[in-house]
Amino acid sequence: MEERVLVVDQQKCTGCRQCELVCSVYHTGSSNPSRSRIKVVKWEHAGIYLPLICNHCEKAYCLEVCPTKACHREPELNNRVVIDKKLCIGCKTCIMACPFSHPFFDIKEQVTVKCDYCDGDPQCVAFCYAKAVFFTDADKIQMSKKREAANKFLESLKQIR
Amino acid sequence: MKHLRPQEHWGWIIAIYLYLAGMGAGSYIIGAIINWFINPSRVVLIRGLALDPAKAALLWGPILVAIGTPFLILDLGIKKRFLYACLNPRTSWVARGFLILSIFIVFGLVLFAKSVLPFGWLHAESDLWYIPEVIAIAFAFGTAIYTGILLKATKSIPLWNTYLLPLLFLVSALSTGSMAIILSTLGTGLFSHDAGALEVLISGEQILVVIEGIVLYLYLSRRYRVSEQGKDSVRLLLFGKKKLIFWGGIVLLGFIFPFVLETIAAFSHGNVVLIFVSGLTLLCGGFFLRLGVLSAGIKEQIPMQRWTEFQYDLKGTK
Repeated sequence: MEERVLVVDQQKCTGCRQCELVCSVYHTGSSNPSRSRIKVVKWEHAGIYLPLICNHCEKAYCLEVCPTKACHREPELNNRVVIDKKLCIGCKTCIMACPFSHPFFDIKEQVTVKCDYCDGDPQCVAFCYAKAVFFTDADKIQMSKKREAANKFLESLKQIR
Repeated sequence: MKHLRPQEHWGWIIAIYLYLAGMGAGSYIIGAIINWFINPSRVVLIRGLALDPAKAALLWGPILVAIGTPFLILDLGIKKRFLYACLNPRTSWVARGFLILSIFIVFGLVLFAKSVLPFGWLHAESDLWYIPEVIAIAFAFGTAIYTGILLKATKSIPLWNTYLLPLLFLVSALSTGSMAIILSTLGTGLFSHDAGALEVLISGEQILVVIEGIVLYLYLSRRYRVSEQGKDSVRLLLFGKKKLIFWGGIVLLGFIFPFVLETIAAFSHGNVVLIFVSGLTLLCGGFFLRLGVLSAGIKEQIPMQRWTEFQYDLKGTK
């Protein structure tokens, strides 16, 4: 099965924070952005918005530091890294370890929560009208990144000439 | 100073846990060594039971650690699941710490009971007891160092990600631990048959305070140079919102007061009140050291955020 990943195109994001709302509704039943698994960082004066998502890293620090194995990888479901709420003790070690500040402490449930790709149908992708967040094949995005890097290299070569 | 936003997940509760674990372990290491080489003993009869308070004063470290562990549980989101915390010792330092502290508490308390209580059937004089004693000291070292390694394992906080932190916490553990022993024996006459032991202990304490000061200086100066967030953390601790913890709690209470008061006490024939006050200030300083290091920990900036700021020249404008 093809592995799919969440990708953000920061230049398309309008900062509407619809993704935060739908994420919190899907996971908690309440429209409360503070309980969302996706966070939009804003530079309001410059009109720049950056949705921050979990990268489900190959070498996931959250997974390494979890003392209970609540944080684990599911290779069969897009190789996602998820937290089992029934095992989580709320020690917040994963929050401290993540360099992307991703897992969040849910005050209401008293456990740490993180993106789980909404079990294969990410709501942030479904409701993003600007198409700033998309769920795509990992290989495809690798290829597009390589293409982008090659184009940049070509441009810089042209400038030198 | 807009970018100086330290972590807020681990606060004073974790600081108390780290402090008591360190002080208890340090106290046990010093106490067990004194017990081996000087072996002070003063048996008193309490309701017909022959107890030895001299041993109790030396070996009460595991009790401090046992008092400290509930603070870790108190900080958990779901406290009743605290036993799950040992399920992943292969990669998690929290799980390893759970095991290290548990083994130390069990061995330490058994040895404490054996030394203090009159259990004849335990054959307290048997050489076989050296085995659990060595294990307990090894795990006491483990506990003292672990308090620093737990923080060091957080690689995204430059202030913590250094081997100097476990070293600093180890020296602080020995310093506060030996002071805990001095305080518990002070004025009780438990060492009266060997007054030299107390003098040696106080001199050792002063040396430890000096070493701790040097390690703290090295630690902060290295962290200041390591990265932008390391620099921010040190600035926050020395000149920012946390400066009261650093200058008042760590420097004044933890270093200057104890050192000066102990020196004056040495010239006034071991004035008990001066030693007592210097001991209390040093113990407070040990707590503020943990609190300061914890509360000044600033995370590395998220790479995507840093890239966006760089791309659009937004640094310092958010």
